[in-house]
Amino acid sequence: MKGKEESMKKRIATTVSLAMITSVLGVSASSFGAVTAKASAPKVTITVLGADYGSGPSNTTSTYWQHIAQGFMKLYPNVTVKTSTINWNDYNTKVTAQIQNKNYPDVLQGEFFPQYVSDGLLYPLSKVLSNPNAGSPVFKSSFSVKNVQYAMPFVTSARTMFYNKKLFAQAKISAPPTTWAQLLTDAKAIAKLGKIGYSLPLGPEEAQAESYLWMLGSGGGWQNAKGQYTINSKANLKAFAFLKQLVASGATNPNPATWNRTADSAKAFANGQVGMEFNGPFLTATIASAGVLKPSDYATAAIPGANGPVIKTLGVADAIQVFKSSAAKLPWIKKFMDYATNNANQLAFAHEYALLPGTVSALNSLKNDPILGSFVKALPHTVLFPSSANWTSTVLPAIKIQIGTAVTGNASSVLNQLQTLATGG
Amino acid sequence: MSNIEISVTDPMVPPSPPVMSGPRRTILRRLEPIYWLGPAFLLIAGVVITPVFFMVWSSFRNIDSVGFDHGWAGFTSYHNLFALPDLGPVMMRTIVWLVSVVGATMLISLPLAVLLNRQFPGRRAVRMALVAPWATSVFMTAIIFRWMLQPQSGLINIVGHALGLLHNIGLTSAQADWLGRPGSALVWMIIVAIFVSLPFTTYTLLAGMQAIPGDIYEAAKVDGASAWRSFSAITLPLLKPAAVVALLINLMNVFNSFPIIWEMTRGGPGDQTATSTVFMYQLKASSIPMAAAMSVLNFFVVALIVILFLRFSNWKERAI
Repeated sequence: MKGKEESMKKRIATTVSLAMITSVLGVSASSFGAVTAKASAPKVTITVLGADYGSGPSNTTSTYWQHIAQGFMKLYPNVTVKTSTINWNDYNTKVTAQIQNKNYPDVLQGEFFPQYVSDGLLYPLSKVLSNPNAGSPVFKSSFSVKNVQYAMPFVTSARTMFYNKKLFAQAKISAPPTTWAQLLTDAKAIAKLGKIGYSLPLGPEEAQAESYLWMLGSGGGWQNAKGQYTINSKANLKAFAFLKQLVASGATNPNPATWNRTADSAKAFANGQVGMEFNGPFLTATIASAGVLKPSDYATAAIPGANGPVIKTLGVADAIQVFKSSAAKLPWIKKFMDYATNNANQLAFAHEYALLPGTVSALNSLKNDPILGSFVKALPHTVLFPSSANWTSTVLPAIKIQIGTAVTGNASSVLNQLQTLATGG
Repeated sequence: MSNIEISVTDPMVPPSPPVMSGPRRTILRRLEPIYWLGPAFLLIAGVVITPVFFMVWSSFRNIDSVGFDHGWAGFTSYHNLFALPDLGPVMMRTIVWLVSVVGATMLISLPLAVLLNRQFPGRRAVRMALVAPWATSVFMTAIIFRWMLQPQSGLINIVGHALGLLHNIGLTSAQADWLGRPGSALVWMIIVAIFVSLPFTTYTLLAGMQAIPGDIYEAAKVDGASAWRSFSAITLPLLKPAAVVALLINLMNVFNSFPIIWEMTRGGPGDQTATSTVFMYQLKASSIPMAAAMSVLNFFVVALIVILFLRFSNWKERAI
């Protein structure tokens, strides 16, 4: 493994030096050009690595990036933009492997990794965007290290509870639950119809969000207000004790630890198989494409908590960040970043996947949108994932693998283990 | 066998004294083994020893999850690794995995090899068919099995439902998520691992059987030995060298087996279907040095298995 890494390093070293030679040549050529005339700009290649928000080949995000790349390359023919996307289920594994092998993309969209900043790999946002404050201020501190912002929110969402009105009517439930006890009763009633009462996606894809929403319900969370990890706190244990009870009652999907948000949970809801689930606005897109439920067949409600609805729900932002490269390349990357995050491209993304955009101007233009509007309004009043340096790099991968087993096995042992990992060396 | 060896080495021994003589020639002559062994040594040094060195070295460094080295860490990673409550269950599972896959493979391969060693119509076709799981990429086999086990639309579940088999053992469609529950997932992965290990083992045993001279069986027949007696007194003892090779290679292969488990369950839920190899990879997501420490542990375990095994099987006396 390490040997491979070494040879990879060498290969990268040679490509880097080759790139430097060509860019030096390119720069000298262009400076010559400046003397004589506005001649050809240097040849630059920008690599973009993004997450895939699609539910299959038909709406893969690689198509979205290719459109942006083509549009940009038309404006600047000297630039070649190479794009690729990674499925969210494999995102952490694949990006981590690529970065560990020192194979850095220029632009990385998806998770923000504060660890990259500690290792000096990222440009601050002020160097790569004409307007570094273009992104929603809600996520400014999450994407900052020592008060310098390194990533911009590219796509955002707030979470809420979706419920199937048809199944609620069949089970004779008059109103959506606001407390855990009501949710348990309602989920059991729906399970009696042969459906999934509550869909609990604790599979690796987004176990961190699902478990967080339950922790919030009992006043817990990943960290306290001081930014210290509290994974094995009493409140969190209480949430998992309830989840264990919910799973044991048979009112959920059978194996929460292998049940993923997009591939399993959203699909099942869209097919009318689920009574309730916590999800983001993108679920509406999945429902529409499945064509089983009409917009009048489902509705949203506040996330139920232990004793009442959760007031501050979870706000999630996926980042866009730029890895350090050469000074010659930087101006072109900046142009690309400005282009990729302009209003038209941000809104195109939002409408394609029923997600919220990340820039203030794009968010403002959606305030009165029939589907996304309410989520836009909820966004400023949300709690966020931790922004500690080791969150995305060390804690999150372990949560994705382990937390699902807490609802069938020994919750306190699982949470203790995660807490040790988060706080220890 | 020995005749063949002599005929192979014969041309290499120069028939006449060397044309060039003197001290220079003697030195060259003495260095000759280096020419022959050098390439192989370089290959082993580059492909085996260097990675092993880096593996051990990484386990003692403080390497962050982005791959940057922050200096010496001593035994911290080993300390953290052995403090993991999941390590014990993972190692136990690895033993179960190893014993059941290798054991079942050997037990099924032996009668298969006996069958394929007999003359029967269509033997060539059967022999070819047995190669299929071997020739197919293990990764593909694992994916196909994962699809067949899909709860709602997998072939195994559909056929099982149609025949009423699943109903009889109390499984509804939602519960037929074989790979979602650690117990049933492990059983299915063991089945797949046996499936892909059978061809190699069977062919090794078959080759061993074909190397047994026919005249021994004829002599036994003249002495009035029954079929079972000639199998148990001739085939089995003479098959031992081939069986030892098959068993040893299987032990190492199955211990290091990664694609089946990774593709079918990713070691999940959690690490509840991970063997030590998969667990090492899971650890790598959060901590490179801990994964390196796990690799070192794996390395010692596999070395220990091989040493113990060679010892108990009297490898030197019988096999060579």
